Amino acid sequence: MPPAAVTNLGYTPPDGGWGWAVVFGAFISIGFSYAFPKSLTIYFKEIQEYFSVSYSEIAWVSSVMLASMYAGGPVSSVLVNRYGSRPVVIAGGVLVCTAMVLASFGTNIIHLYLCVGLIGGFGLAFNLQPSLTIIGTYFQAKRPLANGLAMTGSPVVLSTLAPLNQFLFDSFGWRGSFLILGSIVLNCCVAGALMRPVNKSIQRKTNNEASKCNSEAAEELAAAVDTSTHSDNLQTEEHQSEKKGQGFIQKFTDVSLFRHRGFLIYLIGNVVLFFGFFAPVVFLAPYAKHQGIDEYSAAFLLSMFALVDMFIRPATGLIGNTKWIRPRIQYFFSFAVLYNGICHLMCPLASGYTGLAVYAVFFGLAFGMLSALLFEVLMDLVGAHRFSSAVGLATIIECGPVLLGPPISGALVDYFGDYKYMYYACGVFMLVSGIFFFIMHYYNYKKLDEEHRLTAAAETGSPEEAVQLKMNQDDRTVTETDE
Amino acid sequence: MKLLWAVSALLLSCWRADASTAGFIKSPLSQMKLINDSAEMHCEVVGNPIPEVQWWFVEGEEPNETFTQLFDGARNDHVKINATYIAHATSTIHLTSLTPADSGTYECRASNDPDRNELKKTPKIKWIRSQANIIVIETPNIHTEPPEVSNQTSAMLSCNLTDGNLPIKGSYWIHNGKIIEGSKTSDGKSHTTLKLEKITHANSGKYECVFETDPLVNQTIEVKTPPHVAAYKHSEHGNENDKVVLVCVSHGYPLPTDWVWFKERENETPLLLTNGTTEKYEISSTSNKTSLTINDLNIDSDLGNYMCSGTSELGTADDKIYLRVRSRLAALWPFLGIVAEVIILVTIIFIYEKRRKPDEVNDDDDSGSAPLKSNSNANHKDKNVRQRNSN
Repeated sequence: MPPAAVTNLGYTPPDGGWGWAVVFGAFISIGFSYAFPKSLTIYFKEIQEYFSVSYSEIAWVSSVMLASMYAGGPVSSVLVNRYGSRPVVIAGGVLVCTAMVLASFGTNIIHLYLCVGLIGGFGLAFNLQPSLTIIGTYFQAKRPLANGLAMTGSPVVLSTLAPLNQFLFDSFGWRGSFLILGSIVLNCCVAGALMRPVNKSIQRKTNNEASKCNSEAAEELAAAVDTSTHSDNLQTEEHQSEKKGQGFIQKFTDVSLFRHRGFLIYLIGNVVLFFGFFAPVVFLAPYAKHQGIDEYSAAFLLSMFALVDMFIRPATGLIGNTKWIRPRIQYFFSFAVLYNGICHLMCPLASGYTGLAVYAVFFGLAFGMLSALLFEVLMDLVGAHRFSSAVGLATIIECGPVLLGPPISGALVDYFGDYKYMYYACGVFMLVSGIFFFIMHYYNYKKLDEEHRLTAAAETGSPEEAVQLKMNQDDRTVTETDE
Repeated sequence: MKLLWAVSALLLSCWRADASTAGFIKSPLSQMKLINDSAEMHCEVVGNPIPEVQWWFVEGEEPNETFTQLFDGARNDHVKINATYIAHATSTIHLTSLTPADSGTYECRASNDPDRNELKKTPKIKWIRSQANIIVIETPNIHTEPPEVSNQTSAMLSCNLTDGNLPIKGSYWIHNGKIIEGSKTSDGKSHTTLKLEKITHANSGKYECVFETDPLVNQTIEVKTPPHVAAYKHSEHGNENDKVVLVCVSHGYPLPTDWVWFKERENETPLLLTNGTTEKYEISSTSNKTSLTINDLNIDSDLGNYMCSGTSELGTADDKIYLRVRSRLAALWPFLGIVAEVIILVTIIFIYEKRRKPDEVNDDDDSGSAPLKSNSNANHKDKNVRQRNSN
């Protein structure tokens, strides 16, 4: 096996060293991106009374923030493609800080929509995408673990921000708190400073060593082969002629991703999945109160959920890294989705506080597993160098279901007057999505293995065979480019 | 000639055949009412053409009856008649402020005969009639013991229906408009009691004992306590130059009629705050809630205790609120502190980086994510070794 057939990045990622500092930076960035909009809800009641607006008007602030965070994805991936992760994250941190400082001087609710919602959301988008991208450049063999650790930022930052926000609110009122939150968010710039661009020039040495055909190293390297390697190899061969004709858009974002089989599978599955992803989290506490549980115990359920979530994410990363799971990590992801679905379908059976507590623990497990793998599988499918465009396109398309999911579930609850239909609906969404993933990835893996066998045979086979296979391949290439 | 008469008679009868005489589909109902109560009777008649409905008051015994027709606004506007004539005739008569003189027989008359108002013909023949009785009785005396409860810690309320004429099916108690659970009895006794073990502002109010007779009779006992005043929050924060609203609420019965706000001062009598004297203070009060709005907070002079005081006929109660004024710049110091910390950390990280690799500064595009660059691993078909494009 050719020793350099490990990665198509053109260098070997360090898989450690400064990479762990980058993971820590990503931890902070991702944490703020996900936890910040959720933690702001503590101020809503006071702001609602101050500006004399209705509850739904104040809830729009959160929605606008989330929407612009997802919509800012493509913009952020364009910027990352041009300038790299570090400047974008630092810019994002400054942007959110400015947004919060401006918001603290707000005189009406529209001011808040613009500052906190639009500008703040954009700034958070500039934090999320680059963090994920840079992990892909620093890690290859230990990438699932790195991703799992980075995604743990979300529950950890949320559980720190929630009581902190309450304390700030009691001491300073909402205007003062917004000011101080602006400065806290500026720490994303520190995270950005840690994201030193990966050094690509020292890799020649390591590759020469590997070419000594150390069997152990070859095994490890073989185990670290991506599905992306195969798919990308083929794609570069087939589309090489086409690439010369690409124009303006190709420089900024990779729209050819929409022809990438793995990416399409991911996208379709995710759109269905996100309809039922966040709603159960939002409705956990209200459901508990509906069952007659008091407020503090209901809040404790959420804390239990967050605690389990916190620990399961690095654990999932670790499991995903093992040599049994890594080559077939897409199945692990599909399993996580299915598990989520089953959890929700079983929730209405839970009765009383202990039942709900058990559900919260299992749901925490499911949610954490899914979140830890969410971006890892995308990296696995499209490869690290196309990842930033992929994640940008994926987030803007996922924007719709993420925003529509909770209100639709809320409407279901209002219409039927019972929470169990909402849980059934969410469970069904996840189940359908999980089964879709299983089937499509089985097909995808088969195709990729086929293609891999073809290329491997073409490179190492006998000359006649090689000629024969190359002829077949050329025919295929010709017919495909002719299309 | 005879043939002509026969044919015309036949035609006339045919033409008149689809006409139907008036008939009652709803008749007025007899009722027993208390003095000053109101009564309503309803009458519906069908017929073709649509019949006319009238209301008559009958006094005296047969055969010396006197009939008086009632119209809308009769008896000094105590009578109201509402009639509709769509598809069939309906008419409702309302009698308000009943007196014993209103007792008697009320008659609903209807006719669709075109000759009904001919004075030469006897009315009884052309009009159909339906009667109902209204009996107005004196409100039976209910003796309450005690008639009123004032400032007591516990009480036993009792009602005794002394006029034994009406049959009693049962009794129950009402507190502030809601039936008290467990107070309903069906024993038909004319005596009922309710024990209040601990009277606080929560269970004060109007208590009504109701006897299930026809019509219902009831009596009210007021349970009064001194006012109870509480502040929404005992510690409030306001921002400098901003405004703050302090709120006090009251529970119990009777609710305070007068609310006053004081600002406590050291070594001085408290300052009475009133509306309108300055722009600074605005007081708005309802019987159960009062709010004081302080505008343009000053960090030195507006700090301190504020007292709200509510007065009712049974006394006065008050509560205190402590107001803290936050300086505009209070939040600025932590903000600047954290920004300074961020700048220091970022500087340290950059300096560390520059010092570690001063000669290997990567100034090429470090992204490696632009799609066009992915052909760095272009697999040339005629070579076995991959080529790396160094960026």
